[in-house]
Amino acid sequence: RQAHAYHMVDPSPWPLTGATAALLLTSGLAVWFHYHSTTLMTLGLILMLLTMYQWWRDIVREGTYMGHHTPPVQKGLRYGMILFITSEVFFFLGFFWAFFHSSLAPTPELGGCWPPTGITPLDPFEVPLLNTAVLLASGVTVTWAHHSLMEGQRKEAIQSLALTILLGCYFTTLQAMEYYEAPFPFAE
Amino acid sequence: MALASTATLLRRAFASAAAAHGGHEGGARTWKILTFVVALPGVGVCMANAWLKMQHGSHDPPEFISYPHLRIRTKPFPWGDGNHSLFHNSHTNPLPTGYEGPHH
Repeated sequence: RQAHAYHMVDPSPWPLTGATAALLLTSGLAVWFHYHSTTLMTLGLILMLLTMYQWWRDIVREGTYMGHHTPPVQKGLRYGMILFITSEVFFFLGFFWAFFHSSLAPTPELGGCWPPTGITPLDPFEVPLLNTAVLLASGVTVTWAHHSLMEGQRKEAIQSLALTILLGCYFTTLQAMEYYEAPFPFAE
Repeated sequence: MALASTATLLRRAFASAAAAHGGHEGGARTWKILTFVVALPGVGVCMANAWLKMQHGSHDPPEFISYPHLRIRTKPFPWGDGNHSLFHNSHTNPLPTGYEGPHH
């Protein structure tokens, strides 16, 4: 028996399978681009999905049935989430920096103007606005799900989570439609 | 020492505030109401708005001009014939040589 509240994780193969999947995915992408074979990449994708399923299943087991997620452990998990969200913030900061770099001083190659010559921009108050509403709505529904879970309301937790996922699917569908209808592709 | 007592004071203040409005009871109900009164109607309004805008916005795609800074092909795409973008739409996306098909 241990004299502390921390989680000493049992040996697990999933970090290795995950790292292998990362290798297969990256090299597979390069092979696809240059040698037109998707085998390596497909293997990597399957291995990644298997790793995700089995690793997260193990975490659910450890945290619930096996009681390993004590308050100090939960604190560590919260820190992890904060770190991830911070990295996401920087991810978006990169995109905004790139956008302002290109748009505030448009080069002569683009026609010296923004949007560049020949590019018809999307109306931000059409589907983009709808997607913003969908995104925010899913934040409301997932908060409902969180509180339902904390209050032990199983039926409502399932309903609100299902609504959240439904909104997510709607968002993705709208995005796919936008990509298809747009007058300019990603390459531009 | 002063820092420790401030922290204790804050902790006590939060604890009594939580006890005062019954802790987290009814939290789910609040967000359920927000979902059906604010969030989902908001989505509905934006759906209606997008639909209406899309209706009277339909017009022909702009004429094709072969700009050198657009439709660059330094390497073929690794799918199909290598010349079509992933979400290619022949009505709105011209190839480097112009629109495909008979309508343009």
